[in-house]
Amino acid sequence: MASTATLTGAILAIEFETLAEQRPYLMKVARLELRDEHLAEDCVSDALTQAYEHRAKFRGDSSLRTWLTSILKNRIIDVVRKQWREQPLEESPSGEQEFDNLFDDSGHYAQMPSQVRDPYELCKEDRFLSAVQMCVDKLPKRIGQVFVLREVFGSDTKELCKDLGLTTSNVWVQLYRARMMLRTCLERTGFGNAHTG
Amino acid sequence: MLRISCQQASRLLSQNQDEPLPFGKRLRLRLHLMYCDACSRVSRQLETLRLALQKWRDED
Repeated sequence: MASTATLTGAILAIEFETLAEQRPYLMKVARLELRDEHLAEDCVSDALTQAYEHRAKFRGDSSLRTWLTSILKNRIIDVVRKQWREQPLEESPSGEQEFDNLFDDSGHYAQMPSQVRDPYELCKEDRFLSAVQMCVDKLPKRIGQVFVLREVFGSDTKELCKDLGLTTSNVWVQLYRARMMLRTCLERTGFGNAHTG
Repeated sequence: MLRISCQQASRLLSQNQDEPLPFGKRLRLRLHLMYCDACSRVSRQLETLRLALQKWRDED
């Protein structure tokens, strides 16, 4: 009896360890979405606990990381929805104007965008990835939250509408603004090409 | 009218990363990219941005 209990305990312990190995990854993506260490910690702990309780449901047809990410995403969406309910909208439609400065009166780019020679090579550079992360952190909070759910958590337009209570066109506008702000932010360093002249 | 501005093209480039564009929009965007260097560059930048976030997410 005692040996069976010990054995079971050992197996469970290993399972939790396996889950916990994903913690740094989960914290990284939760931080990018929430910009708050404590909220990120809470969401990740909840997600790991929930995953552990429901570990029998993990089928292995997706990777463990994918499965955990989907659980974390649900926790995070709860937090984001709560934040959005409690905080009045920070962005007014006038934000759009600042943005239209990118274009001249005839609707052309006022400044020639930088050429990215080789996206794959560029994305191997840690320096570039850090610059991207910094630019994402500088986005207006809500725009950043929509964008990170889209690009890091893999939500599609439909899910974003449903989860965040936005219209389709609203989602498109938020994502468009995020991408334009990010490319403007990255232009400051020549989109990673500055050092090549 | 098939001609669109860079501003309209940029909106479509972004939308194209989220949904398949309907035929008319897709056609206008493709035509625009054929003669517009600026938007071709922006198109590449947006692809790079997407790739960068995937790399950032997946690297340990």
